[in-house]
Amino acid sequence: MTGPGLQAYLILAALVFAIGLFGILTRRNAIGILLGIELMLNAVNINLVAFARFHADLAGLVFTLFTIAITVIEVGVGLAIVIAVFRVRKTVDADHLTLLRG
Amino acid sequence: MAIAAALLTLGLPFAAFLLLALVPRLRRSGPPAGWVSIGAIGAAFLVAAAAWLAEAGGAGVWGWIPGAGGPLVTVGVLLDDLSRAMVLLVTLVSLLVQVYSLAYLHDEPRPALGRYYAYHALFAFSMLGLVLAPTFVQMFIFWELVGLCSYLLIGFWYDRPSAAQAAVKAFWVTRLGDVGFIIGIVWLWAAAGTFEFTALFAEAAAGQIPAAGLALTMVLIYLGAVGKSAQFPLHVWLPDAMEGPTPVSALIHAATMVTAGVFMVTRTMPLFALVPDVLTLIAWVGALTALLAATMACVEGDIKRVLAYSTISQLGYMMAAAGAGAAAAGFFHLGTHGVFKALLFLGAGAVIHAAGTNDVFRMGGLFRAMPQTGIVFLIGTLALAGVWPLAGFFSKEAVLAGVLHGQLTGPFVLLALTAFLTAFYMFRVVFIAFFGRPHDPHAHLHDPPRLMAGPLWVLAGLTVGLGLWFTVQPPAGEHGPGWLAPLSLGLAAAGIVLAWATYQARVVSADLLATLLAPLDVAARRRYGLDALYALLYRGAMLGCSRVIGWLDRYVVDGVVNMASAWSLRAGDLLRRIQTGVPQDYVYGVAFGVLVLLVWAQWGSR
Amino acid sequence: MTGATLAFVVVAAALVTASLGVVLTRNLFHAVLYLAGALVATAVVFLLLESPFLFAVQLLLYAGGVVTILVFAIMLTERLVGERITQTSRFLLNGAVVAAAVFVGLAGFIARARQPAPAVTPAEDQVAGLARALVGPFAASFELLAVLLVAALLGAIYLARTED
Repeated sequence: MTGPGLQAYLILAALVFAIGLFGILTRRNAIGILLGIELMLNAVNINLVAFARFHADLAGLVFTLFTIAITVIEVGVGLAIVIAVFRVRKTVDADHLTLLRG
Repeated sequence: MAIAAALLTLGLPFAAFLLLALVPRLRRSGPPAGWVSIGAIGAAFLVAAAAWLAEAGGAGVWGWIPGAGGPLVTVGVLLDDLSRAMVLLVTLVSLLVQVYSLAYLHDEPRPALGRYYAYHALFAFSMLGLVLAPTFVQMFIFWELVGLCSYLLIGFWYDRPSAAQAAVKAFWVTRLGDVGFIIGIVWLWAAAGTFEFTALFAEAAAGQIPAAGLALTMVLIYLGAVGKSAQFPLHVWLPDAMEGPTPVSALIHAATMVTAGVFMVTRTMPLFALVPDVLTLIAWVGALTALLAATMACVEGDIKRVLAYSTISQLGYMMAAAGAGAAAAGFFHLGTHGVFKALLFLGAGAVIHAAGTNDVFRMGGLFRAMPQTGIVFLIGTLALAGVWPLAGFFSKEAVLAGVLHGQLTGPFVLLALTAFLTAFYMFRVVFIAFFGRPHDPHAHLHDPPRLMAGPLWVLAGLTVGLGLWFTVQPPAGEHGPGWLAPLSLGLAAAGIVLAWATYQARVVSADLLATLLAPLDVAARRRYGLDALYALLYRGAMLGCSRVIGWLDRYVVDGVVNMASAWSLRAGDLLRRIQTGVPQDYVYGVAFGVLVLLVWAQWGSR
Repeated sequence: MTGATLAFVVVAAALVTASLGVVLTRNLFHAVLYLAGALVATAVVFLLLESPFLFAVQLLLYAGGVVTILVFAIMLTERLVGERITQTSRFLLNGAVVAAAVFVGLAGFIARARQPAPAVTPAEDQVAGLARALVGPFAASFELLAVLLVAALLGAIYLARTED
């Protein structure tokens, strides 16, 4: 078939990845940061599926499945942490969560 | 029989030492510990006396360090005329000193007294081992042991800073000579291939020892004797060694420690005979030592220090005789000197015990208060001054005759002058301390207790008895020309008369004498600057070195450490700011890392 | 322009638009909705890549599950705060520069990379192949993932539960 090649998908994934990174870097809200992470993981998934498709290798699909499952876990735990932090600090603003400052 | 006797003599004091060292209960008991040691040394003395009477001789040698083709180093005992006489002297003086100490140190705490006797037993063992040694290696080992024991005994009152310092000084100054001694031993072994005296003497007689470098080797070996026998310029430790208890001084000066050097030179005389130049050096150094020590004795006010200088002076005599080739005369003087010097020291101990001071100018009129001590001290003084018919006269004449026979006019003149000074300074002490006006008329002075008086009388009897014996039966050996005996006696008499005129009759003013001989007086009082010189060397070299090292430590080593710590702190402080705690900042870091990786992957590794 | 290319361009545009919406909108709730859009677009990308099974998984798990959890979380925190959480951003320029640099780096890397051989259509049925892989070579990882899921669930409950 004739369609966009592997590189097109990779570029698309890179673009989504960069947008996700931008989101992480600029958002104040912890949940916003989580959303950025979701975008980046999504971009990775696109990469994996594209490689699997163009190399005719099922391993990429298996990894994608795993990534999706782990993402679900990450979101669950991440949100639980956000709620726990919120309960203690009364804020989810990452700029105020600077306990790790040296 | 002879070997068994020698081993028994050696083993008894060692057994006593082990017993005292390993059974604390016994050691801390004090006087019983003393009696153990006295019993052992007394038995050793009896064995030695029996061996002397039987004229037993022989050598027993056992391999110690194995080597290719027979043992490299052997140990054993060598009993001949020389060691037999020496063993007798050592055991006798040790016995008397130990008995005397029991009364002298009556007031010491019991554990300290036990310690004292343990040291004494070890000291006797060490000296006997040195005397009986058939090889250089064994001699050196016991040589060091003797040094150790003298260190322990001089520093017996280790809580006195001066005693501790004197002990360290004695140890280090003699160690200086010992360095030469051990190097000389090894070089001699390299040249001759053996440490054993008999083998060495046989080689020397056969002319098998290569002459090249032998002179230096023997000078180095002689250096050991210089340190131990307090020859110029390493004599400085001996006067300070007076910080020890007086009986220890008697032991060190009469029979052990300082006689070790003379004994060693006498023992190895066949080797020294190969290098006449070294012998001449020994003679000159001995004569010079004798004279210098005598002048220092003339200005000293401490009775023990006067005796110490006189010991140095007499050791100079012995060494001069050895250097002149008359080792027998020197050894003869060693024996008689051992007896009357022990007598003088024990007498001085009795005086100090009673008067409570070392300063002769704070005594006076002692003869009336303690006649027994006065008589024995006078006997010792006359013997030391060389007055007929006491033991000292004969040995001193033998030494002078030997030096004269060795064609050594210079040393002979020095020694003759010393004979005059000896009489002068000894009688100076006698007149000031025993006959002068009592310093403190109310002082309660008394003769020493029986335990102290006994050894004194034994030694006094020996001094007189030996003299009388030699009068009846003149000792074999060198006899000088007919004018020697009158000269020697005349010099002694002149010294006595001058001392009498100055300090008793006060016809001659002591101040006038001092003024006339002002440069000499000042120099002698300053001990010829040697102590100051050593102190300067010590300060200059040691302290200078320490200061440099201290500076290095403070500014370089510490500086590096401080700088490292300061920089770590500073770097940590700077790096700390990277850790803002804001999550995004960490993501920035990751992003930059990714960028660097990307750049490197595309352009870096081409 | 073939139909496949056209479809890709449309889906890609939708995905990028939705992604930008996620990171740029001020309303947190809207951001989550944008994320759901982006996830659905991704699912369509999977479909374009001939992975219908993953398309289904993406829609069900991700777009369904994750977004639901996020909405719950937002509503929970909003209730706790008692007001609407508005998203604010800062250092927009810094973030944009860094993100653009990363994108340029990645794109450059991809552009220079060797062109792969044209894809071959997998002969086997994809779902059957996946199933065989999951219980075959990846069985251990699969089981570990299950354990991880349980542990994470328990952890999330522990973290989020109130003290009483």
